[in-house]
Amino acid sequence: MSFAQFIIKRSLQGIFVVWGVVTVVFLLRFSTPGDPVNFIAPLDASPELRQRIAEELGLNQPLYVQYLDYLAGLLAGDMGYSYISGTEAATRIFARVPATVELAVAATVVAIVISIPLGVVSATRRNEPADYVATTFSLTGISTPNFWLGIMLVLVFAVQLNFLPTSRRPIGFAPAMGYLFSGNSAGIILWLQHITLPAITLGTYFTALVTRLTRSGMLDELGKSYVDAARAKGLPETLVRYKHALRNTLIPVITVLGLQLGTLIGGAVITEAVFAWPGLGTLVINSINTRDWPLIQGCLIVIGSSFVLVNIVVDALYAYVNPQVVYD
Amino acid sequence: MTEDRQSPVSRRRYLQLAGGAAATAALAGCSGDSDELNTDTPADGGSGGNQSGNDTGSDGDGDNQSDGEFAVTITQGQMDAGLDPHDHRETNTDIILMQIYEGTLDRNREGQVAEGLAENYEQAEPNRVRLTLREGVTFHNGDELTPEDVAFSINRIVNNDVGGLASPQSDQLAGITEAQVVDGERAVDVISDGVNPMAIGLLASYGDVMQKSWVESNDSSYINSHANGTGPFQLSNYTQDESVEYTKYEDYWREPAEVDTLTINAASESSTRVNQLVSGETDIVENVPPQEVSRVNSNDNTRIEAVPSTRIIYNGMRYDVEPFSNRKFRRAMNYAIDLETIVSEVLSGFSDATGQPTLEGFTGYNPDIDPYPYDVEQAEQLVEESGFAGATLELHTPVGRYLKDLEISQAVVGYINELSNVEAEVNQRDFGELAAQLTSGNIEDMPHWYLIGWGNETFDASQTLIPLLTTGGALSSWSNEEFDNLVNEAGNTADADQREQLLREANQLAHDEAPWIFLNRQYSVYGASSRIDWQARRDESIKAYEISQPQ
Repeated sequence: MSFAQFIIKRSLQGIFVVWGVVTVVFLLRFSTPGDPVNFIAPLDASPELRQRIAEELGLNQPLYVQYLDYLAGLLAGDMGYSYISGTEAATRIFARVPATVELAVAATVVAIVISIPLGVVSATRRNEPADYVATTFSLTGISTPNFWLGIMLVLVFAVQLNFLPTSRRPIGFAPAMGYLFSGNSAGIILWLQHITLPAITLGTYFTALVTRLTRSGMLDELGKSYVDAARAKGLPETLVRYKHALRNTLIPVITVLGLQLGTLIGGAVITEAVFAWPGLGTLVINSINTRDWPLIQGCLIVIGSSFVLVNIVVDALYAYVNPQVVYD
Repeated sequence: MTEDRQSPVSRRRYLQLAGGAAATAALAGCSGDSDELNTDTPADGGSGGNQSGNDTGSDGDGDNQSDGEFAVTITQGQMDAGLDPHDHRETNTDIILMQIYEGTLDRNREGQVAEGLAENYEQAEPNRVRLTLREGVTFHNGDELTPEDVAFSINRIVNNDVGGLASPQSDQLAGITEAQVVDGERAVDVISDGVNPMAIGLLASYGDVMQKSWVESNDSSYINSHANGTGPFQLSNYTQDESVEYTKYEDYWREPAEVDTLTINAASESSTRVNQLVSGETDIVENVPPQEVSRVNSNDNTRIEAVPSTRIIYNGMRYDVEPFSNRKFRRAMNYAIDLETIVSEVLSGFSDATGQPTLEGFTGYNPDIDPYPYDVEQAEQLVEESGFAGATLELHTPVGRYLKDLEISQAVVGYINELSNVEAEVNQRDFGELAAQLTSGNIEDMPHWYLIGWGNETFDASQTLIPLLTTGGALSSWSNEEFDNLVNEAGNTADADQREQLLREANQLAHDEAPWIFLNRQYSVYGASSRIDWQARRDESIKAYEISQPQ
């Protein structure tokens, strides 16, 4: 099977997975307590007003009709309209995607920048103080709930030290870069100030995980015979460690990085809430609170689809990095 | 097969770039100079971002003053549901829109009716209110306010065929059927279906005025993302779900606002809002929970603003099922509760105990009624006399809908369990599910005993008594012919004093018959920055026009 055939096959599988997600999410609505009409209508609303709201939202239709309508809409790029504001769900949801992607990527960058060097140092200085520091850090990072970490970071760095802002995202990465290219650096500095604490909060668990993975992978690789052969050939130790051992170590790390990026996109809900970050996570929370099902469904479908997409990319990248992988 | 493989150089290059980004992030934290940001940051953040040149809420230095402008930020729990003032029923949306749109009548901080766009108002007939409009009022697009605009706005709310909208606010103008322009005068007649002593009060709370031609020439999507009112602030930037920015309207019919630029944004987490306040990133935050109050008060630059709201919290009891069908048992439940302790300990004092359905300051409030005293012996004796000793009760309560709702319910049940002859437990309910049962229109769908809250912005007893306690009321689980007669008579009485007396009698009857366990009047608790002069209002609104700089 060629690389292109492999990608096509995985994409078709992905479409079925997304359809499954759509169906499950749609059915969730009917197994969840709380009629959306009761959230939209005031408590003293007349039965006529409730009926009118139900009709306007199509909630009086049979389940299969609602499902088929929704699927047909999705194929046309229509995710319906928000129950609360009446605006297009797709517009609202895709307006939130950049914020969530920025946060997920920034958290991944934080993780890569810290974890890989830390893992390497930890492995190459095994049982030395640097190793103890690195393993303690990774254990702490894995054990710390990120909502607590976020609150602590805000209290220390924003409230007490007034060193960084507490929350919000006053500017996006794209416009900030636009201003940077036109010679104005204030936008990108503002963006960095606001994303630093959320990115550290979201990335800490991931950092700890990858540190441990890198450390164990490096130890494994450094114990293999090809490393002894390289050393015997007289290659400098730096070259042996970083060109050969680290390169092989990074193959499973890339897999985890990719999968984790998908998790970060869907799992930033708490971090977004703590930092009032206007991404998909806060939209999901707000929509759940108001039973705004078109938005809830749309967000979950986008998150599920992005997870599927990231998995396909990771599979492709994995095969790309490791020539021993066979497409079948 | 494999594709051409990327050179390892690119990976190293990637790591170099990633390292560079991290270093820049660290540097940004160290070198972030807010003054520099305020002058250098572009005025428009473009799509996906929103940065005002007069950034008030995000520079982290607490300095909301730049270039001599008085800039204020308000942080709510949620943003708006669109900018059409006739197409929503949420307080948060209301607060965002009340800076732009106004009604014909208004209310002062104490809730009394005041003039608005109408400089004069009179109950011309029992079913007709005449509003005389003031001169010199303009919309933000420069056009003058006309009586046609006012009549159109009221009709757009009460009539589904006007203005392309079936407004969810039609119930708020209950009884009003239409508005007509008065020939030859700068006035509008508001017509009701029969006697409507509430009409003026309703118009003081609801009925924002929009420009007829502007509404008719724009579609719903445009109206929900743009604004054209007569209020003290005009919309300058709107980013849905994120923030609304305003500038003061210089041609406002009153003195222009003291606030030059206003931003309203949202943070759903109360701790995040409080962090923003104590860091100086915002000036007013809503819904400060009791556990955060000391943090706000102990900060040198912030304070708590708390005021009794228009919301009452109560335990409804169904009159048609045992043991709540028995008057003595219902009264016993009221004697069993140490309400003062619930208010002081559970609600940290941010509530008032109640003993009648109408709140103090409302038309019809009976000043002679006190809350039921805490008297366990009396409660046990009344339970015995009722014949329902040994009863087991289940209190249905929403969680997180009202301030400390679950904790209040747990305290109520705890006190009842202290009685030797009654047992009770809490049943935590999804609010939507509970609301569906309470509003189904069939009393048999309702739980026997439940906690619910009710806000009444009209400051008139009837808007509480009718829906909550009259037979067949939208949320009523009680029926009493004498009570119904009193409320009906009040609704058909044009004489204000006589009406007040009838409503007081109804409240006395409700106290004596105890269809509820009377609980608390919820407070609105805000955090405010010391750099603004502002007092919280009872009607849960935040009017930036009332904000000034401390002298």
